Parts: sequence; C-alpha cells; structure tokens
Amino acid sequence: MTTHNDLLVDPATLRDQVKEKYRAVAVDPHTTFHFHTGRPLAARLGYDTAVVEALPDRAVESFAGVGNPFSLRALERGERVVDIGSGAGFDSFIAASQVGSTGRVTGIDMTTEMLAKSRVTAAELGLTHVEFRDGLAEQLPVDETWADVAISNGVINLCADKQAVFAEIHRVLRPGGTLQFADIANGRPMPPEALSDIDLWTG
Amino acid sequence: MLEDSGFIDVTIGPPVDTFGGAIGERKARVFDVYGYAFRARKPE
Repeated sequence: MTTHNDLLVDPATLRDQVKEKYRAVAVDPHTTFHFHTGRPLAARLGYDTAVVEALPDRAVESFAGVGNPFSLRALERGERVVDIGSGAGFDSFIAASQVGSTGRVTGIDMTTEMLAKSRVTAAELGLTHVEFRDGLAEQLPVDETWADVAISNGVINLCADKQAVFAEIHRVLRPGGTLQFADIANGRPMPPEALSDIDLWTG
Repeated sequence: MLEDSGFIDVTIGPPVDTFGGAIGERKARVFDVYGYAFRARKPE
C-alpha cells in the first residue's frame, strides 16, 4: 500500500494546481499554453479528421490530450466505456461515435468548468448514451466491473498516486476488459529534485 | 506499473511528438518526453 509519505508530491496540492490549469483550458481555450490544444492537436495526434470535423468547437477547443487512446484499438459497438479525466468531453464523444447508441460512455472529471462544457455539448448533440460525472481518478464514481473499456488521455501522469489510479481502473473494468490510454513518458531519467517539483508536473 | 496493478498483455504504441512546436517543447526535449498509446487487459 502506498501512503502519502511515499509519494513524490502532495496529492491534494497537485490536484489543486491541475484544476487551476485545466479550468483555464476550459474557460479560455485559445490562450497559449505549454501544450497544444484543440483541432490542431487532434490532427497532430492522428484522430480521424472527418470525425473531429463533425464535432462542435465546444467539444474540441479544450482538448489537451497527449496521444490517441484509439490508435491501438477501435472501440466496438455496444461497449461500455469509462473516460478517466474526460475534460470537455472530446474523447468521450469520439468513444460515443464508436460504440453507438447501444453502448454507454461515462466521463469522469474533477474540474467544474470542464464538466459543464461536456454536459452542454452532450445535450446539444442529443447523446443520451453519454454522461459526465464529477469525480477523481483515484475514486471513480463507477460500479465495480461496469466497464468493458477504460480510456484516458494525458491524465494519469497528473495524478500523484498512479498505483491507486490503476487499481481503481482495475476495479471498474469487467474481467477481460481493456484499458487503452495515452500518456507521456520520459526517455531520460529525471533528477530527484525535478520529480518532487510540483510545478514541473503541470507545466 | 500496469503489470503490478494486475493488467496483462501490455502493448505500447510508437512515440508521438506531443509537444513539438509548443512552449513546452524545450522541457520535453530535456527529458525526452513523448506521448504514447498504451493498451492492456484485465485477466478473465
């Protein structure tokens, strides 16, 4: 078991900084951040152009993923999907188009402004098989073994206790279920002082 | 870490230059940071 003392940074402090950063991405997405956002980012990461073009700006402009969680496996019709750190809903809406109306997509996010955007878009698109819930990656508000698939994009690296996140994903996936996510990884070791510098975690 | 958490059949996709051309590129280059797609399965 990992205790807070074992972690490199304080989870609550990191969470507050992440919320602050992504609140800005939600409310002012055209500001320049240290990462790419929106439609140019989706194109850079190899998302299907036609699918992205069909989405309204509100669903895409605050997208800040780091890869394409659908690149190693497309979702199947009817699958139940949980999107961890769903933001303004971009990947959830891509997932919704892949699983179709017989599937279900549940997006989880902790940033109020992101949740508001995703819910407005889902309503605008009339997507009754997509919902967004307030929650944390370490405590997903999803029943045990509910999901066929868990997706995530650029979120787990922002969590102080990654082991807790993976344990929670394991809990919500059914036996035989799939975890497919995108995240960053460094090819060179980081010095200990960098690992514990909370500012480096968010930018 | 995925295998430590009980996942199997872990697959990692090719690196993606997530930060190229962005403000964060300089820091990303220092530590060779790229985006990756991961896939794993919970055992039956």
